[in-house]
Amino acid sequence: MSYKCSRCKRDVQLDEYGGVRCPYCGHRVLLKERSRDVKEVDVQ
Amino acid sequence: MELRVTESTENELSIEIAGEDHTFMNVLKGALLEHDDVSAATYDVNPEQSGGQTEPILTIKTEDDADPLECLEDGAVTVREKANSFKNAFEAAA
Amino acid sequence: MSAEYDVEFVEREDREARFLVRGVTPGFANGIRRAMVADVPTMAIDTVRFVENSSVMFDEQLALRLGLVPLTTPPVGEFGEDETVTLSIDVEGPATAYSGDLVSSDDLVEPADENVPIIELKDGQRLEAEADAVIDRGKDHAKHQGGVAVGYRHLQRVEVEGDLPEFEDEESRIIRGVIEDDGELVSTSEFDHDLSNRYPGKEVRIEDVPNAFVFHVETDGSFPIEELVTRAADTIAERATELEDAVQL
Repeated sequence: MSYKCSRCKRDVQLDEYGGVRCPYCGHRVLLKERSRDVKEVDVQ
Repeated sequence: MELRVTESTENELSIEIAGEDHTFMNVLKGALLEHDDVSAATYDVNPEQSGGQTEPILTIKTEDDADPLECLEDGAVTVREKANSFKNAFEAAA
Repeated sequence: MSAEYDVEFVEREDREARFLVRGVTPGFANGIRRAMVADVPTMAIDTVRFVENSSVMFDEQLALRLGLVPLTTPPVGEFGEDETVTLSIDVEGPATAYSGDLVSSDDLVEPADENVPIIELKDGQRLEAEADAVIDRGKDHAKHQGGVAVGYRHLQRVEVEGDLPEFEDEESRIIRGVIEDDGELVSTSEFDHDLSNRYPGKEVRIEDVPNAFVFHVETDGSFPIEELVTRAADTIAERATELEDAVQL
């Protein structure tokens, strides 16, 4: 799962054992980034 | 355009014209009323959201044993001719 | 056989016109008007694939905005109902994405206006998307309306009846539309919509001219006025032909 640290703005990969914490700066607030997939939307 | 006859006697006809709205039905009704053998012509449409019968139903009454279906055909011809002559008049001016 | 129509233009521009039709019944005039608004097909964006959207608006909101951009509509027969035209847009902030930034894969289908703002992008924001345009009718979605602000009024005949009482204050008489004065067509905007400017000190009578309607037609740029009106008449004729064929069976 890819996140972005809200303090140091670096990309963070989380695994299920490490807990929620930035490995670079130790900050505990991580932001979920938008997926890089192409999203198809119908005009309503 | 799907047609379904809902009532039919010698000189009266009720017919459902699926897929049409006031745009065409009112013009068609107007054309039918100009027909010599037609004594009455009307149509009824219910709103899309109302459920039940939402397609327009056209009712034609004729005089002197004229066939309502033939009158309907004449009406359609009149509408086509009106539309074409309007188009020609417009193109002549344009 | 049935109808003799007479058409005369009062005002005429690419996207806006005013023309008089004589010999038309109110029902038929309304049929033509309704056909212009809801039954003449035009191109509009229907599906959008977002590659990147880091703007402040949701994909769905931008998709709606893209859908509402008027596109030029190719000539009849040039385009099937299931065919699509792809347009792409790629704008990086700081800039405003405009309809003119849409790049079409087909010269026949392009934004009718270059200056419709889609979204303002700040530094670092980017919009990259690909859109499919399809042809459909205004009846199905307002984005497919070719005719906007389509309406008609009776032609009005003005007759001078006599003089107004000499010492009375003149009252303004406001009317809108087109008047007929001795066979001459005059738009009311020429005298500020006030008959007392055109006929000072005169008593005038106004009446609607039966079966004479002045249409005011404006298009969204999908096609010129002439195209809209003739295609509207065609849709009615087409349906009449369809009914003819259906009855004969």
